[in-house]
Amino acid sequence: MKVGMTVNGVGEQVDVEPRRTLADALREDLALTGTHLGCEHGVCGACTVLVDGQPVRACLMFAVQAEGASVVTVEGLAGVDGTLHPLQRAFSEHHGLQCGFCTSGMLMSALHLLRTEPNPGRERVREELAGNLCRCTGYAGIIDAVVAAAAELGTTLREP
Amino acid sequence: MQRVEDPRLLAGRGRFVDDVAFPGMLHAAFVRSPHAHARIVSVDASAALAVDGVLAVYTAKDVDWLAPLVSSGPMRDDVCVQSRTPLAASTARHVGDPVAVVVARSPYLAEDGRDLVDVEWDALPPVVDPLQALEPDSPLVDEELGTNNICHAEQSAGDVDAAFADADYVTSIRFHSGRSTAAPIEGRGVVAEYEDRGGGRYNIYSSTQMPHLLRMFIAPVLGVPAGRVTIKAPDVGGAFGLKCTVFPEDIVIPAVARLSGHPVKWIEDRWENLAAGVHSKDMVCTMEIAAKADGTMTAFRGRFVTDSGAYSSVPFSPLVDSQVAGVYLSSCYDVQNVAYSIDNPLTNKCQIGAVRGVGWVPGQLAREVAIDRLARTMGKDPVELRLQNMIGPEVYTTPFGQTYDGGSYAAALEQARDAVDYAEFRQRQLRAREDGRYLGVGFSPFVEPTGWASASAAAGGMPIPFFDTASVTVETDGSVTVTTGLHSDGQGHETTLAQVTADELGVAMDSVRIVYGDTDSSVFGMGTYASRSAVLGFGSIRESAGQVRDRLTRIAASLLEADPSDIDLVDGVARVKGVPDKSVPLQQIALFGYFGGTARPDDIQRDGLTATAGYDPGETYANGCAAAVVEVDVETGLVTIEQLAAVEDCGVVLNPTIVKGQVAGAIANGIGIALLEELAYEDNGEFISGNLINYLYPSTTEVPSLTLHSIETPSAVSAGGVKGVGEAGTIAAPAAIVNAITDALSPFGITIEKTPVTPEYLRQLLRAADHDRNKLVGA
Repeated sequence: MKVGMTVNGVGEQVDVEPRRTLADALREDLALTGTHLGCEHGVCGACTVLVDGQPVRACLMFAVQAEGASVVTVEGLAGVDGTLHPLQRAFSEHHGLQCGFCTSGMLMSALHLLRTEPNPGRERVREELAGNLCRCTGYAGIIDAVVAAAAELGTTLREP
Repeated sequence: MQRVEDPRLLAGRGRFVDDVAFPGMLHAAFVRSPHAHARIVSVDASAALAVDGVLAVYTAKDVDWLAPLVSSGPMRDDVCVQSRTPLAASTARHVGDPVAVVVARSPYLAEDGRDLVDVEWDALPPVVDPLQALEPDSPLVDEELGTNNICHAEQSAGDVDAAFADADYVTSIRFHSGRSTAAPIEGRGVVAEYEDRGGGRYNIYSSTQMPHLLRMFIAPVLGVPAGRVTIKAPDVGGAFGLKCTVFPEDIVIPAVARLSGHPVKWIEDRWENLAAGVHSKDMVCTMEIAAKADGTMTAFRGRFVTDSGAYSSVPFSPLVDSQVAGVYLSSCYDVQNVAYSIDNPLTNKCQIGAVRGVGWVPGQLAREVAIDRLARTMGKDPVELRLQNMIGPEVYTTPFGQTYDGGSYAAALEQARDAVDYAEFRQRQLRAREDGRYLGVGFSPFVEPTGWASASAAAGGMPIPFFDTASVTVETDGSVTVTTGLHSDGQGHETTLAQVTADELGVAMDSVRIVYGDTDSSVFGMGTYASRSAVLGFGSIRESAGQVRDRLTRIAASLLEADPSDIDLVDGVARVKGVPDKSVPLQQIALFGYFGGTARPDDIQRDGLTATAGYDPGETYANGCAAAVVEVDVETGLVTIEQLAAVEDCGVVLNPTIVKGQVAGAIANGIGIALLEELAYEDNGEFISGNLINYLYPSTTEVPSLTLHSIETPSAVSAGGVKGVGEAGTIAAPAAIVNAITDALSPFGITIEKTPVTPEYLRQLLRAADHDRNKLVGA
């Protein structure tokens, strides 16, 4: 089936089987391998992407369900010149990543939080990121990073 | 400091094994046993092969040209050598044991094919209980071995029996450390291609912690010299010891790449990761302590039975749990009479491998839970009792012969005690109880063998030489390339090792590149596990970089017409001490080093600006202490960790940010082990924890903000005084948490005998305690 969607601002068309997951379409058909698969049953959150602004487990959504949608993946965060997004920079500054495998999903979940709640406290960050597992960091650096990015970004992330 | 690896990982531009693709690549899916123990009667692949896009189904018969995968463990006479075929040939020995592999044009089609392979099974009686497995009438897991016990061993020092006979107090506990595993977010994966030239060679991408050792183990099974196998370990999405194992899939995927004539990729799914990777820490422990009336502990006696699963894992074997629980029994205590026995019964479960904290975790649980019990029995304070019995900070040799390189054993406990405001806490605990709230505190001081090398391995009962090499090259333009056989799977070696190279050579850190994870381009190394890379990486780089620095200094001295001893090399510029305007940049020194003809010293004409050196340090031991403050909801059995404080002493710290990250991540893992993580089997050997809904591990809401403190006691033996740090938190945290829970529930007098301490388990203990109390009231 042909599916049209906007991915990181670019119009894309993929030809997929109905059973192909959005994660596989992004990774295999569009070569956006920054979205990672950790459990393929919707628990670990590594494959989180934004679909029409909402965080979605790309392993639990079929590509055909994204017809007409706007999808943002981790590759859509940095500037075209490679300049890291303030959230990405905060992850680095606060040692919010070690192996980097869960990081893409963490960033996307955190981005959604900051877009919907510009100044979440630590406890809100903790609650919101409870759906993204990390085995390396013990989470402290991740929470620090999101809180710091929220402070830096203020309300600039709020979508109209 | 930003880590070197951060920009690519944050931008989604890391390259993990699932991101590797070759033209014409096929995809593999394994057919695995649904039974704990069953004979394979027949395999009918016809329905699978009828699927468009399924190219082949291979069974053990198709790969019978492979040599067996042999586990000789630590190569001790008392350890059984076990062989297995990479695909089960006649018998499947645990749920998840691979029996066939389907190769197809896409992963979806491979899984379609897998579901259509019809295996006829003849179920055999499973061996599930490790203690029953040791009974003479138990069915055998592996008939070839003639026993279920991979190793029985005993060791004692001093006079343990006399100490127990003379004791005023004897405490004896039984503790079952639960079955957990690494479960990195990225599972295992292999991509292999076979080139049919020059006798054949394999090019393999693998998510591994030890590229060179993996090559060393699989080449003979594949029937080629090691030089015809290339292992490339790209970015690895967490490993924690799971990926320092050699698995059947590591052999089968290259083999079917050869058979099919196509590159083949296999990316394991989460069920496979949990059912058929390695498990860890499943140990039935008994621990006895003899003590005098004044609180002096005079003897420890332990028995450690590792539920080893169906196969002795390669290379570390189940002794990686049982042996190390036993041999480090005395830990940081001045107890001179010690004895242990270990057993390693095979059962029809997943194999036991080296996962973060290994057998130190069960050993620590058994000892520290027993010490708290002793303190309660004697009416002594658990912190004071520990301090009373602790060794001093100087170099110390244990009764079993490990020589600690100095540490802050008592100071770490005192700092942890202060970090939780111990005296104040006891007041708060009393007030809370008046309100019907149950708070508790627990402590867990530890010693962690680190920098795994020949001496430490021998001292740990694993007498195999371990060392590492590094090669340092100053390139023609003055930039620096380092190759190492260590691997980074989150530890940040590209940063830390560049930092130590830059310091050693006197160059800018961003001019240094660390090359690793490729057996074709990196010097031989034993890989990253057992908290060894900081010590081995630093030592091997310091040695090789030191040699290059000496050459640079001599060239600079000749260019500046000065004595080499007067040359300072800082920030990529060589200067004559005290003469600031006499300087030469590294770039010029390097160019001269390559093209200065006969004006160069002879050794530089011969060796250029490359030096390769190895390092095999003496024994290094980190130490520290975890302290946990918990609240237990007695109505639900839920444990909330109010505070977790950890004091870490890993010697001289190379990079404080990375050390802190290692400690925090390891503690989170320890919280999981204490409260959540349980790989469960039914009585018939059926595996019931095959997803992350049933195998719970800590998320943001289970890991509190941590209180982390550091003490730096330089190692008396290692280069730079460095010790390792990777496993400390996992070793320390579980015992602190279990002790805190027991302390919280001391009014109920319950005894915790296993991990994880789930709400269900606590409610069961509390109900039984209520029942006993009611009986007493009734009487």
